[in-house]
Amino acid sequence: MTDTINPRDPQFRMERVVDADSLHLLTQRDKSGMLAAQGKVNGAKVALFSTDATIQGGAMGQAGCDVILAAYEYALREKCPVIGLWHSGGARLTEGVASLDAFGKVFAAMTHASGKIPQISLVLGPAAGGGAYGPALTDIVILGPDGRVFVTGPEVVKSVTGESVDMARLGGPEPHGRRSGVVHVVAEDDDDAYAATRRLASLLGNQGTMTPDLPEVDLAGLLPESSKRAYDVHPLIDGVLDAHDDTQELHPKWAPNIVTTLGRLGGRTVGVIANNPLRLGGCLDSSSAEKAARFVRMCDALGVPLLVLVDVPGFLPGVGQEWDGVVRRGAKLLHAFAEAVVPRVTLVTRKAYGGAYIAMNSRALGATKVFAWPGAEVAVMGAVAAIRILHRRLLADVPAEQRESMELELAAEHEKISGGVARALEIGVVDEIIEPTETRSALARAILAAPARRGAHGNIPL
Amino acid sequence: MANRSSDVHDVRAEMVANVLSIQVSLGEVVTVGQQLLLLESMKMEIPVLSDVAGTISEIAVSPGVVIQEGDLLFRVS
Repeated sequence: MTDTINPRDPQFRMERVVDADSLHLLTQRDKSGMLAAQGKVNGAKVALFSTDATIQGGAMGQAGCDVILAAYEYALREKCPVIGLWHSGGARLTEGVASLDAFGKVFAAMTHASGKIPQISLVLGPAAGGGAYGPALTDIVILGPDGRVFVTGPEVVKSVTGESVDMARLGGPEPHGRRSGVVHVVAEDDDDAYAATRRLASLLGNQGTMTPDLPEVDLAGLLPESSKRAYDVHPLIDGVLDAHDDTQELHPKWAPNIVTTLGRLGGRTVGVIANNPLRLGGCLDSSSAEKAARFVRMCDALGVPLLVLVDVPGFLPGVGQEWDGVVRRGAKLLHAFAEAVVPRVTLVTRKAYGGAYIAMNSRALGATKVFAWPGAEVAVMGAVAAIRILHRRLLADVPAEQRESMELELAAEHEKISGGVARALEIGVVDEIIEPTETRSALARAILAAPARRGAHGNIPL
Repeated sequence: MANRSSDVHDVRAEMVANVLSIQVSLGEVVTVGQQLLLLESMKMEIPVLSDVAGTISEIAVSPGVVIQEGDLLFRVS
């Protein structure tokens, strides 16, 4: 290295991830276009590798892929997270099919390590072809401000389809943060990108132990007075989790009707899944079910307990949804929860209706514990909607001016027998009614009472 | 929810809904996160918030109408 450090230098980049003076190279600096190292994040061990964008734009061949394999061997041996820094045009053309074969071996190594150790990718420049699928196979993809992810670049796209597009619109923050779900975290600047990488390495690699006696927050004030009114669920999540900056939402702009956040409760890492009524009324749909399913499977594989905050009016109806595969993609969430063996605790804050009630970690899917706040409703659908179907003929015969009062009467009656939380308690699908002011401790105790197991499976990028 | 095309931002509907009420008027200056209108869908009242700051240059809906996913609600410039 010369006196002026090239900001694309792989060692310089890896040093920005780890604690000061903790980086030690695992491989030699050479012409392979890749460097592997070990280091510490907040005192906990991590393995790292970085493409060397100063050599052939980070293009990767056999030797470079071997360096990645060395980083994975180290991480698996030490049972620590592996962090990949990507800035690569893809395979080295000069090496031909040998470089493709080498890429394939990296993909296989990533897949075999999946669910055993946390895998985090930070994309700092263009990552094309194999350079795109590498990060895509890992648990978390963080996109730096200059990060671009695509299978084929703008020139190839232009020559094949005739579409004119620049790298940012093809594979930058907007498409991957909002539309495709390829990227979990979009960083505003380099500092933000490295900070998110460190935070996630800590949350997943250094999960800590939970203390049960927690300071309580009055969470009730975070719900609007009217039960029909939508609200943003983020302050509620912040209130449930420990108050510090060690919290990271994944996929914040993609499928925002469900929120998936890693944070800490009583000092221990937990994964929060919450419906967000502010977006699409909090309905589940095909993308949000898929987003949540992948999050559940990642947490299960890596031993992160789950908190599920439920306020869901149902699955989103519509032709678009059906054609989008809401049945297939919604089934992923049912499968993910039913399969999960980590402690997973549900809290129904307001309502849980229909198929979405089942999908949001219900008792039947094997929830560790199901709590509800007073006044919560668990039902097939809202009472008025239900009696309109059940008593269609009766209501049709009633004069129009009496219909509304009749509906209200029937709805009140219906709630008693099938709707309210009392009925849910009676048949055991809700275990306990808890007050908003005792919620944090109740959630922590329920997690601590369950055996600390983790799923024996990988984290396929659903 | 909003599309960027030069300095004009379209605020579009995320889902099928009834328009209950509109909280802003033409020419009004709005801030990020300000409530623009209230929708009713899935038996819920769902506010639509502005994700940009600017001036309301067009209001494309009125109370009582049914909007489809993707319909233009407001232009903010």
